[in-house]
Amino acid sequence: MIRTPLRPLARILSARERGENPDAIERENIRLRGEAARDRTRLRAEGRLLVMGVLFLMAFVTVGARMGVLAAVDPQEPQLAESGPAILTQRADILDRSGRVLATNLVTHSLYAQPQMMVDPARVAQELIEIFPDLDGKRLSADLTGKRKFLWIKKKISPEQMQAVHDIGDPGLLFGPREMRLYPNGHLAAHILGGARFDKEGVSSAEVVGVAGVEKAFDTWLRDPANDGAPLTLSIDLTVQAAVEEVLAGGMKLMNAKGATAILMEVGTGEIVAMASLPDFDPNDRPAPLTKGDASDSPLFNRAVQGVYELGSTFKIFAVAQALELGLVNPATMIATQSPMIYGKFRIRDFHNYGAQLSVTDIIVKSSNIGTARIAQMIGADRQRAFLGTLGFLEPTPVELVEAPTGRPLIPAKWSEISAMTIGYGHGLSASPLHLASAYATVANGGRKVAPTLLHGQPHAPGAQVINPDVAAEALKMMRLVVTRGTASFGEVQGYQVAGKTGTADKTKPTGGYYKDKVIATFAAVFPVNAPKYVMVLTLDEPVETSGSEPRRTAGWTAVPVGAEVIRRTAPLLGLRPEMEAAEDMGLTLVRN
Amino acid sequence: MSYLEHNLKAVPTGFRKIFYLNWPLIVLLTAVACVGFLMLYSVAGGTLDKWAAPQMKRFGVGMVGMIVVAFVPIWFWRNLSTLAYVVSFLLLVAVEFFGSIGMGAQRWIEIGPLRLQPSELMKIALVMMLAAYYDWLDVSKTSRPLWVAIPAALILAPTFLVLKQPDLGTAILLVMGGGLVMFVAGVSLWYFGTVLAAGVGLIWLTFESRGTSWQLIKDYQFSRIDTFLDPGSDPLGAGYNITQAQIALGSGGWAGRGFMQGTQSRLNFLPEKHTDFIFTTLAEEFGFLGAFSLLALYIGIIAFCLHSALTNKDRFAALVTLGIAGTFFLFFAVNMSMVMGLVPVVGVPLPLVSYGGTAMMILLMAFGLVQSAHVHRPR
Repeated sequence: MIRTPLRPLARILSARERGENPDAIERENIRLRGEAARDRTRLRAEGRLLVMGVLFLMAFVTVGARMGVLAAVDPQEPQLAESGPAILTQRADILDRSGRVLATNLVTHSLYAQPQMMVDPARVAQELIEIFPDLDGKRLSADLTGKRKFLWIKKKISPEQMQAVHDIGDPGLLFGPREMRLYPNGHLAAHILGGARFDKEGVSSAEVVGVAGVEKAFDTWLRDPANDGAPLTLSIDLTVQAAVEEVLAGGMKLMNAKGATAILMEVGTGEIVAMASLPDFDPNDRPAPLTKGDASDSPLFNRAVQGVYELGSTFKIFAVAQALELGLVNPATMIATQSPMIYGKFRIRDFHNYGAQLSVTDIIVKSSNIGTARIAQMIGADRQRAFLGTLGFLEPTPVELVEAPTGRPLIPAKWSEISAMTIGYGHGLSASPLHLASAYATVANGGRKVAPTLLHGQPHAPGAQVINPDVAAEALKMMRLVVTRGTASFGEVQGYQVAGKTGTADKTKPTGGYYKDKVIATFAAVFPVNAPKYVMVLTLDEPVETSGSEPRRTAGWTAVPVGAEVIRRTAPLLGLRPEMEAAEDMGLTLVRN
Repeated sequence: MSYLEHNLKAVPTGFRKIFYLNWPLIVLLTAVACVGFLMLYSVAGGTLDKWAAPQMKRFGVGMVGMIVVAFVPIWFWRNLSTLAYVVSFLLLVAVEFFGSIGMGAQRWIEIGPLRLQPSELMKIALVMMLAAYYDWLDVSKTSRPLWVAIPAALILAPTFLVLKQPDLGTAILLVMGGGLVMFVAGVSLWYFGTVLAAGVGLIWLTFESRGTSWQLIKDYQFSRIDTFLDPGSDPLGAGYNITQAQIALGSGGWAGRGFMQGTQSRLNFLPEKHTDFIFTTLAEEFGFLGAFSLLALYIGIIAFCLHSALTNKDRFAALVTLGIAGTFFLFFAVNMSMVMGLVPVVGVPLPLVSYGGTAMMILLMAFGLVQSAHVHRPR
């Protein structure tokens, strides 16, 4: 390091010669050196300051840019990246054809106790009685104060009850979460849905199993985890079902019937759009089965599927259709109808005496037992049995309800000629209203066999051709006349061209023979007749219409007006537009006048 | 020995000093404080009494304090630096033993009627101390290891105490502010490079150690880091503040929802809405424009400080000015970055805007030092 001398001697000496103060020279020199050093430092400091300034600027730019980005993006509500474990639905929902919920699950709680953990069992028992007055107080306090380690108190409790129990605040009272089956629509479609109950019950869950209806029929499927919670979609339309049930309940009351059932079915696919049976029940709170008396009097009894009745004159159309099919008759063929008809020891009568003979069409329109018996006689027992078999009357319906196999038709042990004659007009063979609806659907859809189903949108293969389409059309034409000028004249619904057939059958006594004053009145209808889409079967059990001078029980006075009201209410819901009568039908109307 | 003692005659004296104050700086400070009053008024739901009025009073006191400090010659303050540092340090130690606890951390000390946060005091005292140290130190010794170790110890000792409180935000500010003064004073870049490399290495090592037997930090600390990196992973827990703040900023958009119209802050979604997170209210109500304007005001303050430091030939004055400007810069840069999710949440208030008495008064006194340096600069 080169050191400059502290006192620049040469300059001081020359200054002395000039008479100047050498100290000033020295001070000046120190100042210059100091300034030089400071300048170096300053230069360095300025460089550092520049770096700092750049860093500051970068920070400003970053913050400013971030502000801009945040201001530009739309705010988004925070969401948990991981939502909690998905609630495991152990049982699939049941939906109607439009996706409306018919059955679902609800998380509820059971209440159980661990008496050994209780602080004050006596007080707990007392307070529990206040919350659940239906509990047996003495037994509960004995259980809680005793030696038991575990005790179920309630299987299902409401949130309010749960809060109340919670407020007791005893550590020995515990809640077990579980899913329960909920039918949000209450009574609607009760017989179809059936019901469910708890099976194996654990503290933290309980298994729900179906006990009736589709809940039991599809129990395995509904519980199958492989379906991944896919719902079961039924063919039922909730709106239509509600309308049918409402009209049916009103009609049953009006006609003083003890029971009623109605079925609305698509003629092509056999899908059941609505099916009701009265009296009904609430599947959320299924009543216990009857322990004595007739099971068919229980509200649990599904008349549409389980109830087998002699359905009377509604069967006549099958005899006529088969005779047309076999070429035995044509619609204009005259058949002898002299009353009474005597066959061996049996006498067959008509409601009215229709004179010496009627055309085949008029046999249907006026509902002549004698005429139909003669036609059945022409067909013969074996052919009739085979034909009714193809229509499904010899086997239980294949509908997807556990109750369906119990709806086995009652057929004569020996299908004799007289059996054939009576079965021709609907006596001697008992079948369910659903059987009848399926058979009518076959007639209505141009003769293809129909299997009734409760599932919506299943792949549907056209059924076997069991009736010639021409014959089916002829039969429909006759049934249209039944409504326009026959026994079902109350069945006309303006714009919807109802065709149908009535049936009034005396009820059989359990002891044998028939009641004189108890009937099953049935109206089987097809609409709209130009392009049939729906079959409606409505049956009233023991109806009496009392507005006239004497009680009337025939279907024309009881089941038909109720059935017409069902059609009037449901046709718009089904999306059918009212149509003006075709010219052909207009002509017929004019002839009647 | 300071340069300016030789040039006393050029320095204004008496009340004439008032004309030599850095007036643009005062205007800018007042403007920022006014933004603060506005926001406090808004956050309180349209009442002055809750936060805005006390804040105004403190600002007034602080301004008077600033001018008083500015009138006192800067060399007096330089001579006081060591004392200030020692007193602040003792107070920090005292907090450790007698301090009262607020918000889960021990930060306050009560001296008579005064409630004091010694860590706030320390931020300024440290800057003064370091500036005085480098003013005293021969320039040629600046980068010698021993003479680097002394200021490093001066920084780390209070940092350690502050970390124990615990107050991570202030600790970071102390280290960064002190480091800034050392940097500007001309300490060799090698030291900074080494410290930086060591820091990065330590961070890397920390992450490497995760899940191993020699894990360096606790699991919950890792989870905090995770939350910072992805606030969405825990939006209702540790990430809550940050997510809500970002929603507020986003909902403000470009022009904001309008004064007193901010929903996020008004509906009490935001925690600490009047203190550390007040910036979100501003961003929501005045949008990007409002937030950026505040940023511009801050930039203005920094710019005037830098200019003042650059034109000041006195080493202590320049270093103190830079140190205070740097600390001020760190305050709002860390706060804004934190609110906008650029850095993890540490408790650093928005200077002059956040509600808080001591912080603001001490900050204004510090600006008094800047003013004094400006007034008494050698000419």
